[in-house]
Order: sequence, then structure tokens, then C-alpha cells
Amino acid sequence: MTQLALVIDLNVCVGCHACVTSCKEWNTSGWAGPLTDQRPYDADPTGVFFNRVQTYEAGVFPNTETYHFPKSCLHCEDPPCVPVCPTGASYKREDNGVVLVDYDKCIGCKYCSWACPYGAREFDEQQKVMKKCTLCIDRITDMSLPESERKPACVLACPTRARIYGDIHDPDSEVSVAIREQGGYPLQPEWGTKPSNHYLPRRKTRIQIHEDELVRVDNPLKKEALPTLPEAGETLDDVAW
Amino acid sequence: MDTQTYPLNALTQRPMAMYHSWDSQNAWLRQIHTHNYLFVNPRTAEANGFGDGDWIWIESPINKVRCMARFSEAVEPGTVWTWNAIGKAAGSWGLSPKANESQKGFLLNHVISEELPPCEAGEHMSNSDPVTGQAAWFDVRVRIYPAEAGEPEVTSPQFKPQKRVPGQDPKRGKWQAFVAGAFRKKAKIQE
Repeated sequence: MTQLALVIDLNVCVGCHACVTSCKEWNTSGWAGPLTDQRPYDADPTGVFFNRVQTYEAGVFPNTETYHFPKSCLHCEDPPCVPVCPTGASYKREDNGVVLVDYDKCIGCKYCSWACPYGAREFDEQQKVMKKCTLCIDRITDMSLPESERKPACVLACPTRARIYGDIHDPDSEVSVAIREQGGYPLQPEWGTKPSNHYLPRRKTRIQIHEDELVRVDNPLKKEALPTLPEAGETLDDVAW
Repeated sequence: MDTQTYPLNALTQRPMAMYHSWDSQNAWLRQIHTHNYLFVNPRTAEANGFGDGDWIWIESPINKVRCMARFSEAVEPGTVWTWNAIGKAAGSWGLSPKANESQKGFLLNHVISEELPPCEAGEHMSNSDPVTGQAAWFDVRVRIYPAEAGEPEVTSPQFKPQKRVPGQDPKRGKWQAFVAGAFRKKAKIQE
């Protein structure tokens, strides 16, 4: 069975919110729309977003890191939001594993948002129905689009390519390879929901420069047999890594 | 410059989701950032006697601004900084005068001098880069201290709300004039 999902690389996400706005742009006018706003130009504006980025810090100065953490529905393999729905509005698609809400059946009781341990559900205060990330179901299943565009809007928008999309049940897919080789992990696995979306961890990157690397091999001063640079006088130009 | 009285450096940055004030009045973008905080290292805040989220004053030799503090371990203790694209004057950018941008957001511009202090070079030297003319931002020295208990919980300085420009208000037909008051209320037209 296919299980479509996102893999989000926390090591490259810079928190630009391009995924947030592109998601809202596509979905407010698409199959899952509208994504209504309350008090858009007044005090304390609020509204429906299928995708949000939370930013937080870890560590104590000077060993601090800032994390940008994009958060949307994880399309769990065993979604707790589906069995609690009294009307059957909340369902998981058999063919590709995407968790969706049928707005016509939803009565806005919010049981699913209580059941979801990830806070991924978004209640529309205006339409009084529960909404959520659809993985851009109206894009990814639209066969009239070229295959390169049959991806969620957030994946196409991400300028750092922090978001990868694909089938996590296919061991050779890009997402499966990324999870396997870069230590991808699900959120709160102890809940037994088996989230499909995975996150790639932050990695420590340090530049290791050795003495001999500080002098460029093709330094023109060397070629012309000119006196070499003084010991302490390396410039940025002489650094090769 | 008396660095004993003004011991901290104040910097500005842009949030990643928007640049400058351009289009940050957009209904979706302003849900991402509706107001800004002054980011302060917890140790600096403790030394100055205020907590996370408290209302504080940031004061330079020329002016002072009231704003909210947010603890951040990602800032060096001798420096404070903020996003300088969020704060707006009341009623500007087509927003309501009660919008968070004017009530909780603030601009650090008010503490930055346009001119350098009088020196040997002259009385009125522009506080900008002599080659490019770029305004000097990163050499502001400030001190911070908590706001008094009774002070209003809005940013300072506050200005009279800007007048709405033509076209911003809903149009009202001439025939509505004889019950104008009622329709003004219904159409939410402000005086």
C-alpha cells in the first residue's frame, strides 16, 4: 500500500514561512478551501493555516541553537482522529494513505482535535467545520498536471529544499532513502499513531581546516617563484577547503 | 558616548517571513508576526530587574521606547535586538488603529539619532556611512529598565491615528444620506 508523506529536514529549514503562505494560497482557493481569517486587519488576527512553523531555542548562550519546526498533519498510519469521528467525516484514503475530512459530513464537534496528539487540526470558526492539511490532494492526484508539479504546494515552494515528498512504503523512494540514511524520525512514536511524516535531525557541521590547506596549491605567488606569504599573513584568498 | 550609562548595543534584524514593512500588512503575513519583542539575554534582563514578556523601556541618549521583552539565549548578553519591520503607526498601512502592530509592536528608529553628536568635524554630521550614505544602525548604545507598575501596556511613543485615505472606507450611496447615521454604523464607517 502506498503511504504518501513529507520528510522535513530540520537541518536546512531557515524558518522563512514560504511553505506556510504557499500552502494557504493553494488550499484557500482549492478543494479544501476556503481557509478563513478572523479580524484580518484588526487587533489579534487569526485564521486557518494547514501548515505552521514554530521557532524555538535550545541551549544556553553561547551554545545556543535556533530551531525552525514546520508543523502540519503527519498523516498517521493509525490516525487517532479517524475512529473518534461520530459522523465518518474524518477518513484515511485507502489508495494513498492521506487523512482527509469530508466537510459535508463534519458537524464541528472537535472530537478529532482532542484526539490528535500533534495539534494538527484546524477548526474553521466561520464554516464551523474541522479542516486540516490534505497533502494538497487536489494537486498530487491531478493527472492533468506534469509529474514534476504533482507535489504539495509547500514542497514546491521551499527555497532550501527542506521538504521532500514521496511514498514511505516504497523502500527505494527519495523519502525512504532520506529517512534511512539521515536518521529520520517520527514525532512522539510512543503514542502508537505511526506518523507518516518524518523529520531529519539537526547535524553538527564544523569546518576542519589543516595547516597545509591554508595555502592555495595554485597560489600565483608560488608559480612565479616569488617569496611566499608571511607565516601569519594568510588571507581569505589563500584558504582552500 | 557614555558607555557606562548606555552599556548595551542595540541591533535590528528582519524576520524571515517578511522584509521591511513591504506588504507586511497582508492578512496572512500579519498572522505570522503581528508584533515584535526586544530580544534580551536572560542574564541581562535579570541584572536590569525584569522578566520574560515584561514591559520595559529601551533608552538611548536621544529618546526612549516602551516595548515588551522576550528572553533569548541566542543573543550575546551585551546586545539587545528586535525585528524592525513589524511596528507601525496607529492607522497606517490600512490597518485598524487598534492593530497589534501599533499597540504592541514598536520601531527602534525612535532611539536612533539622525545626526552624530557635535564633534570637531562639525555641528551637524549625518549619522550615516560617508561613502554610501547608508543610515548607521548598528552603533546605537542603549540602556534598558522595567516600566513602572501603573504604566499603560502599550508601546510608546504613540501617535494620533492616521487619517484613512480616500477609497479605504466602504462606499455609501447618496440615497442613504437621509438615514446616514444608521448606515454609517452598519457599514462600520468610523468618524
